[in-house]
Amino acid sequence: MKRVIFGSSWLPYAFLAPQILIVIIFFYLPAAEAVRASFYLENPFGGGSTFVGIDNYKDVLTDDNYVRVAKFTFWFSLLVTFFSLAIALLLAVKADTVLRGAKSYRILLMWVYAIAPPVAGLIGVLMFDQHVGPITDVAALFGYKMQIGVNYNDTAAAMIIISIWKQVPVNFIFFLSGLQSIPKAVREAAQIDCRSSWRRFWTVTFPMLAPTGFFLLIINITYALFDTFAVIDVVMKNEPGSNPMTLVYKVYLDGFRGSDLGGSSAQSVILMALVLLLTIFQFRMIERRVHYT
Amino acid sequence: MMETTSSNLEVEARAGGRRTPLLSQRRFWRSVGDHTVLWLGVLFMLAPVLLAFLTSTHDAVTIHRDGLQFLPGDHFGETYEAVLFGATGFTGKATGLVMTFNSMVLGIGFAVGKIVISMMAAYAIVYFRIPFATLAFWVIFTTLLLPLEVRILPSYEIVQKMGLLNSYTGLILPLIASATGTFFFRQFFKSVPDELLEAARIDGAGPFKFFVDILVPMSKTMIAAIFIIMFVFGWNQYLWPTLITTDEGYYTLVRGIKQIIQVWVGANIPEYGQAMALAILAMLPPILVVVVFQRWFIKGLTESDK
Amino acid sequence: MIKHLIAAGVLLASAATAAAQTKIELWHAMGGRLGEVVNEIATNFNKSQKEVELVPVYKGTYEETLTAVIAAFRAGEQPNIVQVFDAGAATIISAKGAVVPVEDLLKKAGVSFDIKDYISGVRYFYADTTGKMIGMPFNSSTPIMYFNVEALKKAGVTPPKTWEEFEKVTAPALKKAGFVPLAQSHLPWIFTENFMSRHNLPFASNDNGYSGVKGTKILVNNDAIKAHFTKLKEWKEKGFFGWYGAGWSDNQAPFEKQEVAMWIGSSGSFGGLTKSAKFEFSATYLPYWEAVTAKPTQTFIGGAALFALSGKSDAENTAVAKFFAYLTSPEVQYLWHRETGYVPITKAAYELATKDGHYKRLPAAEIGIKQLNLPAGEHTKGYRMGFYVQIRDVMNREYGRILTGETTVDAAFKAIEAEANKLLARFEKTVK
Repeated sequence: MKRVIFGSSWLPYAFLAPQILIVIIFFYLPAAEAVRASFYLENPFGGGSTFVGIDNYKDVLTDDNYVRVAKFTFWFSLLVTFFSLAIALLLAVKADTVLRGAKSYRILLMWVYAIAPPVAGLIGVLMFDQHVGPITDVAALFGYKMQIGVNYNDTAAAMIIISIWKQVPVNFIFFLSGLQSIPKAVREAAQIDCRSSWRRFWTVTFPMLAPTGFFLLIINITYALFDTFAVIDVVMKNEPGSNPMTLVYKVYLDGFRGSDLGGSSAQSVILMALVLLLTIFQFRMIERRVHYT
Repeated sequence: MMETTSSNLEVEARAGGRRTPLLSQRRFWRSVGDHTVLWLGVLFMLAPVLLAFLTSTHDAVTIHRDGLQFLPGDHFGETYEAVLFGATGFTGKATGLVMTFNSMVLGIGFAVGKIVISMMAAYAIVYFRIPFATLAFWVIFTTLLLPLEVRILPSYEIVQKMGLLNSYTGLILPLIASATGTFFFRQFFKSVPDELLEAARIDGAGPFKFFVDILVPMSKTMIAAIFIIMFVFGWNQYLWPTLITTDEGYYTLVRGIKQIIQVWVGANIPEYGQAMALAILAMLPPILVVVVFQRWFIKGLTESDK
Repeated sequence: MIKHLIAAGVLLASAATAAAQTKIELWHAMGGRLGEVVNEIATNFNKSQKEVELVPVYKGTYEETLTAVIAAFRAGEQPNIVQVFDAGAATIISAKGAVVPVEDLLKKAGVSFDIKDYISGVRYFYADTTGKMIGMPFNSSTPIMYFNVEALKKAGVTPPKTWEEFEKVTAPALKKAGFVPLAQSHLPWIFTENFMSRHNLPFASNDNGYSGVKGTKILVNNDAIKAHFTKLKEWKEKGFFGWYGAGWSDNQAPFEKQEVAMWIGSSGSFGGLTKSAKFEFSATYLPYWEAVTAKPTQTFIGGAALFALSGKSDAENTAVAKFFAYLTSPEVQYLWHRETGYVPITKAAYELATKDGHYKRLPAAEIGIKQLNLPAGEHTKGYRMGFYVQIRDVMNREYGRILTGETTVDAAFKAIEAEANKLLARFEKTVK
């Protein structure tokens, strides 16, 4: 906990007000509506509605397919989070170390983040295309017949790799900014104390990066869970079929595509509760180990 | 700065760009290793973009049939001209320029709005003993857990009731309602040494002065990082703008791209080349932002902590 | 001076007509070239008369457009016309008071309307129980079988009329000639919905769902279709049938690359194929099982329709009617047909296209319309099921699992039936 010096005055409230206000109006009001809708079955155009109690929740939780999707979501999020963090950290540390071309590397590595998501997805899909994808061709050289959209594991792998590819630059930028903000005095001291760069990284740099790292961990989990549905959609070409999908994609399918407001709301409430529990757990278990000063 | 005498290369390089002529062999190989890793990283990240560029110079039928192209084609002029000067849409309002402007407004509005609001909120949460500070944090934090797509219908209703359909405010404000920025600055503020605050207090700085004169300049690197992220996020918005604007004067670049790609499959061949060309062009402003703001990366705390 | 006065008068007059002009909005999901044709039609319509100004707005994919119109409708900001895709039509049609039936709209505006003017396979797809047209069919297509002319010649076969012929004659010969004989792009649409219609089998109770949502049950778990999927699986193993996943283009690509000899796609795929296929191709009707029926019937349309939304003034509704009248005129339909490959929805437009020699130039372009004009049966007008998008997803999932060997045909159809009926029961509660 921060040593608090400033007492209360009007200032903190004034500073908090805009954010809280926006959050209440544009998040909690709509979210409350989603919670309400989860207890109803209603025509989206407002033609009629029936209060169904917890039936929507029951329907979701007793669906075999939902369990299958949940399992995939778990592995998907785990892999995407781990690899996008690990790759970005490695690159950020290296970009922070090298002398020549540091600037160019930085720019080049941030570059991809700028590409428009629909095209990023399109490129990803074309890379893995089952008929003309270069990656499929490479796999064929090794005697493996890769078939996105047909083979469950191939499709899952493509989704995971494209998702990682899109997220690495974000993590890279944040890690680099975290590294750059490590005070010079600390670096110098570390340089003298620890000769081995490997040890120096784990004993000095990594703990200093922990606040950023923890932030990124949470952000990446939410990315993997929530923001990847565009990638998933483009990989399966808007036809889910028997392909793997995540929980949020299912929310999108049922709510957005299928106009089932009640069912999709129930799914998002369940999802939100799960992720909230997960983050509380992380704050309890991991943040405790993060030293802030 | 120039009198730094540390034998450390990195620090020296950073300080003055001078290099010690004697590179030990070990250091040399380590640096080769570092560059290899970085080059692999760049390759992994950029090869697809390069392919997109090469592919954008081919005609739609070739791309449709043969996929990504590894060599430049002969449709560069044609495609890029069509993208740059052709207007999409019905009214002809949605020219490349207008779409760029709109994307720019969204990117900057979103990034600036989010940084200002979330820095203020994070400051209040970290530096003040106010009741419900933890609650306030969680209230803000929870917004990460329900994406806009899920609450899109009620969000539309609220924006409509506030009369913000077809307006930049309506485009930007609801997107700001997420916790990324607040959470990020909270992490950073918590790691700022307490001594700084004590020193400032001894100098007689009040909370507002401390925030504006010390904390904000100190956060430069962080602001740069989040500006890049948020600018691109705003720049690339698609779903929300599609939903709440009907006036083609509000078209964004990504919407233009989507309109090109999205053709009912089979009926026609999408102008893949044009979509990729537009995407390549649409990358330029964000890259400019990256180039400008990445300068802040080298400065920031490293200097101001002296 | 007089000149000035006249000029002023002209200005005033034109200002007056501008003010009297009714502005109507159309939200659509037609990207790329299709969107350009929509804009062209709108521009021509605006030029053709002075009273109405139509503004088409592209609202993203079908799904995004539907969500946008739902959001707008709830807030009272709905456009006059919206394009809704086939599987989502039940949602908007079943919503009480959301749409003004096209037929009412036209009749009220004094536009002559006779449902018999429309092509038979198009007519009732977006109609209600009594046969009243609710939505105006817009981009309509139907599944047909394309074939590589050279490939069939090389194998010494003609395009098969029945699946029996395919199995015994066509497929073995094509396989021997080095081709994958058959692929298709949309199992639920082609081998389920239109399988039912081609064989005149009931797809759902309550007259395929047309006579109300109450107690509607899907009838997909029947022997004819199960036999068909058992064969598909068998053919896939024998190398008679290629399946490349649920994605449309993944299944079309091998046909374009001349690996697959016959491909079942949409009649609307024609335009794209003429550009992407560098070989002579033609088309024929969707084959049928002789064992199931001796009298194969027509297929019905897929695609999307235009719906007039309620809550608008009479003046605006009249304007919409004027636009619909324009849109269904033979010339505009022919333009749409020629430019996009979608079928013309009226007989008059079909006649115009014939007279113009369109089908002499491109015989394959006529197959879809001819197939829609085949004899009708009691189960061939279409289907109306709620949450049908999800039902299609369930089908696609289970079909994929059949073909990859994860499940059996029996288990898959049992699962589809159970899940679909659960969805239908849920939908029933949304319209009370």
